[in-house]
Amino acid sequence: MFSVLIDQFWSLTISGIALGFIYVLISLGYTMVYGVLRMINFANSEIFMFGTFATVVITRDVFHYTSLTTHSTGFRLVLILLLSLIASMLTSAVVAVFVEFVAYRRLRARGTNKLATLISAIGISIVLSETMRLLTHSRPTGSGRVLEKISLGTLWGANIRIDNVLTIVAASIIFILLDRFVKLSRMGKAIRAVSMNEDASKLMGVNLNRVISTTFLIGGLMTGAASFFFVTVYENTKFNIGFSMGLAAFTAAVLGGIGNIRGAFAGGIALGLLETYASAVLGTQWKAVTVFITLVLVLLFRPNGLFGEAIQQTRA
Amino acid sequence: MNKKIQKALAVAATATLALGVVSISQAQAAAKVTTVSIAYQGPLSGGEAQTGIDEQNAVKFALKQYNDTNPAVKVTLVSVDDQGDPSVAGTVAPGTAANKNIIAVVGPAYSGATIASLPYYKAGNLPMISPSATRVSLTNPKDKASYGGPVFHRIPSTDAKQGPALAKYAVQGVTSPKVYVIDDQSSYSTGLRDYVLKQVAKSTLVGKDSIPNDATDFSATLSKIKSTDANVVIYTGYFSQASKLIKQLRGAGYKGVFAGGDGVLNQEFADLAGKDAEGARLTGGTIPLADADPALEVKFKAAMGVASGVYAVESYDATNIILAGIKAGKLTRLAMLNWINAYSGTGVAGNTISFDRFGDTAGAGFINGFVITNGKVVSKGQIK
Repeated sequence: MFSVLIDQFWSLTISGIALGFIYVLISLGYTMVYGVLRMINFANSEIFMFGTFATVVITRDVFHYTSLTTHSTGFRLVLILLLSLIASMLTSAVVAVFVEFVAYRRLRARGTNKLATLISAIGISIVLSETMRLLTHSRPTGSGRVLEKISLGTLWGANIRIDNVLTIVAASIIFILLDRFVKLSRMGKAIRAVSMNEDASKLMGVNLNRVISTTFLIGGLMTGAASFFFVTVYENTKFNIGFSMGLAAFTAAVLGGIGNIRGAFAGGIALGLLETYASAVLGTQWKAVTVFITLVLVLLFRPNGLFGEAIQQTRA
Repeated sequence: MNKKIQKALAVAATATLALGVVSISQAQAAAKVTTVSIAYQGPLSGGEAQTGIDEQNAVKFALKQYNDTNPAVKVTLVSVDDQGDPSVAGTVAPGTAANKNIIAVVGPAYSGATIASLPYYKAGNLPMISPSATRVSLTNPKDKASYGGPVFHRIPSTDAKQGPALAKYAVQGVTSPKVYVIDDQSSYSTGLRDYVLKQVAKSTLVGKDSIPNDATDFSATLSKIKSTDANVVIYTGYFSQASKLIKQLRGAGYKGVFAGGDGVLNQEFADLAGKDAEGARLTGGTIPLADADPALEVKFKAAMGVASGVYAVESYDATNIILAGIKAGKLTRLAMLNWINAYSGTGVAGNTISFDRFGDTAGAGFINGFVITNGKVVSKGQIK
């Protein structure tokens, strides 16, 4: 039973971390919004889904990639990857700001209770996924292989694949940029101020609406980056892809301590590893069971998640 | 007048009107006995849609040929989309059963969806002929939960035949095979898996896994395949997951055989997986229309605008059995059921079709092998 884990430990670990980084980026979408609004953005799964289609559109429609096209190299490869990443990030960011405007802003302005906002977010989420379902006739969409999944060598017997490395390195850079932005920039400080005390920050002259829109925008950018990595690694998407990925990322956010961006990081990586190890040891059919039992156990002992209370000041 | 009374009156008036409309339309229907409906049920949207669209095209083709002869009784088609999903099938089947114009169903396409639909069709005495549901228990009266008699019939042979054939076909020409078997936890998939496992020699089976139908990341399974050094992977699920699995397998450097059953047997599998699908070995109790009757395939293309897909022959045969019944004046569900039970005729492939008392065809008994070659599903003939 454990022989697979021992035999394939590093190979499992690397793919677990790569998957974990995708979770990290999506869970930032949840955690950023929760940080400022104390509300779950249930439409984040659809923000992710729209991002995946942006990458597909760039590769399939702009660069005419089919499932039979040979992969690209050199400058063309970098160009396609970069354009896809930007397109996914921008698409998700636009959808996120749209969601904030439609589902949150007006309700907030009228002082409705949080439950109404929650339902309107779920509503917009359904509208978004059903729209994509109709546009794609519910069919799965494959993406051509732009990046040949070559092996960069082996490390402790594990095959180091370029798509995993790309995900881990690029997602780390994006995460560090976000962390620095929230810590050091003027807007970042405003976001943290609103997160700690909304009324006090208003009194200090923080423009609440702008902060909230920016938070949605940043959350969307992060989720969009996740969409790009997802399509690059797994080469497919579907109108309902947001549900399973969104649920996993939300779990990661809660596991790490929702509202805390470093918590999202820890939660995402932990979840990616946990899922991969559990599938290897117990069989894939036990993956979800293991994940949620672990989540419940963690919350029993640390009700605010792994990092919930420990580093309040970095709340985003 | 009291507001409440006003409201109640309004409701009553609307109801009377609505009932009136219903009774008029029923009267109209009764006057026009010259039109009856048959239903096609299968996945027309969702990940497996291509299967349903291919099958329904064959049903439409048979109907078109029939209606073009200007028959006394016109037949219309009702499309029932169950997405191949038992939970969706359970919600659309009651409506199909309640629609008295429908006198027979071609389908459901999938075994799980069939099991979910059966209670309604049994209660409504609605006869069914499935072109592709292969789970063994559907025609096993000892299996109370999924036995389809007396309304269920099917054209293809069952997974009891397909499982061993798939296991044999997967290892053909492989020296010292190491077989890894994966299912997707659906009724079809686990059933087929069990029959595959019966055939795979204990010494060659190196592992198995069960991956939920909505999984996106297969890396744990890939690691297990790698650690067991398997050189034959058999997947008993459906094509949309199979295309993801084979992409990730090839991406991880797996060079061995990939084999799948009739759930994977679909042109869209090759389209979605692209180059990675090359050489994949698939099985199915079906014969391509172009092989069974090339002249009919030409007519099919001309009439439908597309080439026929998987299970076209079986869908066409199933529809023609029902149409023959309508020609013979069997215009009620019960008359149609008796007609199908007593039916004996020849299918497109020249085989004799008649049903035993459990709903299986007496004549069916072959499983064909297919290989993805240059992005196309190519038939390799019967697996011996």
